[in-house]
Amino acid sequence: MDINLWSVIKLLVALGAIIALLIANSVVMVWLERKVAGFVQRRPGPYAVGPQGMLQTIADTVKLLSKQIVIPGSSDRFLFLLGPVLCMFPMFIMFLAIPYGPWLTGLEINLGLLLILAFSGLESLAVLVGGWGSNNKYSLIGAARTVSQSVAYEIPLLLAILALAFMTGTLNLTVITEAQTGWFWHWNIFRQPLAFLIFIITCFGETNRAPFDLPEGESELTGGYHTEYSGMGFALFFMAEYTSMMLVSFLAAVLFLGGSSGPIGNGVWWTFLKMGAFMTFMMWVRWTFPRVRFDQLLNINWKWLMPLGLLNLWLTAMAIKVF
Amino acid sequence: MIKAIVDNIKGLYSLLVGLFITGRYGLGPFPAWLKLQKPENGYPQLTTHYPWQTIEPENLVNFRGPLELVPAEDDPAQSRCVSCLMCVKGCPSGCLTVVKGDQGKAPKVWLSDFSLCSLCGACVEVCPAGALRYSHDLYWVEEKRENLVNDLLAKLAAPRKASL
Amino acid sequence: MTSLFVNPFHFSTISENPADMLGDFYSNNFEKKRVDPDSMILNLGPQHPSTHGVLRVLAELHGEYVLRAEPVLGYVHRMHDYMGQVKTAAQFLPNTGRVDYLHPVAWNWAYVGAMERLAGLEVPERAEYLRVICCEFNRIASHVMWWGAFVLDLGGVTPILYAFEEREKINDLLQIVTGSRLTLNSMRFGGMGGDVDDRFLRLAREFIPWMRERLKMYDQLVTGNVIFRRRLSGVGPMDEDLCRRYGATGPVLRGAGVAYDTRRAEPYSVYSHFDFDIPVAETNDCLGRYLVRLREIEESLKILEQALAQLPGGPIKHPKAPKATWKAPAGEAYFAVEGARGKIGVQVVSEGGKSPYRVKLRSPGFSNLSLFAEAAEGTLLADALAILGSLDLVIPEIDR
Repeated sequence: MDINLWSVIKLLVALGAIIALLIANSVVMVWLERKVAGFVQRRPGPYAVGPQGMLQTIADTVKLLSKQIVIPGSSDRFLFLLGPVLCMFPMFIMFLAIPYGPWLTGLEINLGLLLILAFSGLESLAVLVGGWGSNNKYSLIGAARTVSQSVAYEIPLLLAILALAFMTGTLNLTVITEAQTGWFWHWNIFRQPLAFLIFIITCFGETNRAPFDLPEGESELTGGYHTEYSGMGFALFFMAEYTSMMLVSFLAAVLFLGGSSGPIGNGVWWTFLKMGAFMTFMMWVRWTFPRVRFDQLLNINWKWLMPLGLLNLWLTAMAIKVF
Repeated sequence: MIKAIVDNIKGLYSLLVGLFITGRYGLGPFPAWLKLQKPENGYPQLTTHYPWQTIEPENLVNFRGPLELVPAEDDPAQSRCVSCLMCVKGCPSGCLTVVKGDQGKAPKVWLSDFSLCSLCGACVEVCPAGALRYSHDLYWVEEKRENLVNDLLAKLAAPRKASL
Repeated sequence: MTSLFVNPFHFSTISENPADMLGDFYSNNFEKKRVDPDSMILNLGPQHPSTHGVLRVLAELHGEYVLRAEPVLGYVHRMHDYMGQVKTAAQFLPNTGRVDYLHPVAWNWAYVGAMERLAGLEVPERAEYLRVICCEFNRIASHVMWWGAFVLDLGGVTPILYAFEEREKINDLLQIVTGSRLTLNSMRFGGMGGDVDDRFLRLAREFIPWMRERLKMYDQLVTGNVIFRRRLSGVGPMDEDLCRRYGATGPVLRGAGVAYDTRRAEPYSVYSHFDFDIPVAETNDCLGRYLVRLREIEESLKILEQALAQLPGGPIKHPKAPKATWKAPAGEAYFAVEGARGKIGVQVVSEGGKSPYRVKLRSPGFSNLSLFAEAAEGTLLADALAILGSLDLVIPEIDR
C-alpha cells in the first residue's frame, strides 16, 4: 500500500466515521439491551425519558460525564487511568478493516482478519491494566480471569476462522464476503456450521458476556475489574464491552452470514441488520442463562472447542483437497 | 466419550429450551401476530406501571394503609372517638397522641406518627368505640419525617385527596 | 515510575502491633489464623450482591480456592428477643413478623403457639385451617423467592423476576387475610385476626393448578439447564453428620437425606389431617437441596388443596380469646413450627408480669449458616457462593 495524501484523508475520514459509529452504537445498543432485558423479564424497560425511553442512554451518559472520577488512594494512578483509555483505543483500528458494504471499507488490506485478531488481544491487556491498577482484590481476580479467558478463547476463534480462510484462500475480509454473494445457501453458516457454532461460543468468551461474564461476574466479584471505576472510567469500560460485541457481530455478519448480500438489494444495510440481529441474540442469551464456573469455562474451551476446531479444520482441508 | 458427547448435545438442547421460554416472554409487549402464540397463552407485562397505572380498588380490600378515624353516624366531620386512651396504651411503638377535649368526650388532638407506626393494628382492635380503621391510601409520600405526623382530626374534617 | 513495580499481591501485613493493623477485630483475628502465607484475604460483604443482605463472609483465598471462610454476623441485630421481654405479649406479636421477612407467618405462629401453650388457650378449628393455609402460601412464596435469588447467585438474572409473579399472586391473597404484604401479622392469641372471603377462596383455588404449570416452566428454564446442573451437582456436599453437629434443619437437613420435618416429628395444629410427603434428596449436594425445595412447593400445594377443600365453618377466634392488654400467666412453654428455612422455635418464660420474663427465638438460618465455614473449605469462590445461596439465608432472621 503506497502512502499518499488521498489514502491519509480517507483513513482520517474513516476513523472519524468509526468513532461516530461506536458512540451511536453504544447509545442505541445499551438502550436495546435494557429494553430486551425488560421485555424478557416482563417489565417495560426504560420508559420515561423520550419515546419508549430512547433518550435514557443519553441521559445516563450525561450523568456519567458529570460524575467525579474517584481514584482510590492506594491505586496505581497511572495504570488506573491508562486502563479505560487503552481498552477503547484498539477498537478504532479493528473497525477499519471491516467491509461494511461492497465499497465501504476503512482500510483495504490483505490481512484484515489478522489485524482484527491481533488487536483484539489488546483489550484483555487493558482490562488487566485497569484491574491491576485499581489495587482492589475483586478487580485483581476479575483481571486475572479476563486474561486466562481471552487467551484461551482466542485459539478456537482462530481455528474457526482459519477454516474460512482455507476455503477462500485469503485473509482479506472483503474477498471472504464476496465469496458468499448470492442467496443464503452461499453463506458460510451453511458451508461451515461447526465453525459457526464454535464462533458463537467463543464470541461470548471473547466479549466477556454472559454466560461467560466471569471477569465482572456481579454475584461473585461485585463489579469485577471495573469495581473501582466511576464516571467516565466506568463508561469507557462499558462502551468497550458494547464495542467488542459490535465487533464480533460484524465479524459474524461478514464471515458467516453473507455480509452485505441479502434477499433484496445488496448493500450496507444488510451488514448492519445482521450485526443488530446477532447482538440481539447475544443479549437474549445473556438474560437467559446462569454463569458457568471458571474451571468449566476452560474445560469447554480446551476439551471441546479446541478438538472440534481442529477437527473442523482438518475436515475443511480434506474437502478442499478432494473437491 | 460417546456418553459425554450425547450429554453435551442434550445440554445444548436444554439451552435452546431456555432461550425459547425467555424469548416467548420477551415477545410479550409486541402485537399478537408477532408473538407466534395463542392469545390465551399471552404474556402481558405484569408490573403496575406506577405513575401511569394504579392498583385497582378490588386489590386494596383489607389493605392496611395509614390510620384514619371513623366518622360518627350523625356528623361525618366528627369522630366516634371517646378519648378513652386505650389505643395509646396498647400501641407498641408509642406513635399515638390523643388529648381529651375540654367539654364532652370528643378528643381535642389526635396525632398518629406514621414514621413510627408499624401498622400492627393493636389500636384498631382495642378501640371500644370502633373509632379507628385503616385507610387504603397507598400513595402517601412526604419529603420530611416531621410531615409524617398525621393529624387525624384535620383529615376527617378535610380528607386528603389521593395524591398521584 | 516506581509505582509500576509495586507488588500487587502484597495487600496486607501481619503485625503483632494492633495499631499497625487495618480492619476490625474480625478481620484481624481472621488474619492471625492464616493457614497459607501467600493467601489473599477477601472480605465479602456486608454489602455484596450475593450475601442477601448484610452478611459478611471473610474468606482466605488461594487463587480462587477458599481455604477458610468465616461468616461475621450482627449487622442487622435488632434485639427481638429483648423486645419480647419489655413489651406485652400482644405488643410483641407484630415484631415476630419482622424477624423473617420471607416467612413471617411461621414466626407469628411459633410465638402465638408458644403463648397459647403457656396459657392453655384453645383455638377454633377454622382458625387452625386458616393458619395452615396462610403458612403454606407463605412457604411457597418464600421458596419461590429463594429459587429466583439462588439462580441470581449463579448469574441468571431473569428467573427472580419470573418468581415475583407467583409471589405477587400469593401476596395479593395474603393481603386479603392480613392486610399487609411483607410483614404479615394476622394471628392472634386464640385465633386469627382476619377471615377469608369468597374472593380469597376463588383465587386460591385458581392458584393451585396455575402454580403446578409454573413449576413445569421452572424445570424447563432452570432445573433442566445444563449450565445450572453442572454448576450445582457435586458442589457443597453436606452429610447427615455435618447437619447434626451444627443443628441444621429444614431443607438443608432434608437435602442431606434425613426425612425430618417438624410438621411430622412434633405434630402441631391440624397437620395430621393432611396427606403429604416429606421430600428427601438423593444427593446431598446443592442440586439436592434445590430439588428438595422445589418438591416442597408441590407438597405445600397438596396441603393447600386439602385444606381449602376441608375448610370448616365457625368462628375464627375463640370467644374467650384474650384482649390486647392480656398478661401471660406464670409458666414456661416451647413451641416449634416448620418454617421455610427449618425449625422455628419460640421459648417463652413468664412470671405472670406485664411482659414475659424471657423470650427466646430459635432461628433456623443461624444454625444453617454456621455449617457454611466447614462446607466451604477447599471450594472455589463461585462454589462457596453457590453453597451460601443453597442454604437459603435471610439475614435479619439470623441476627434477629
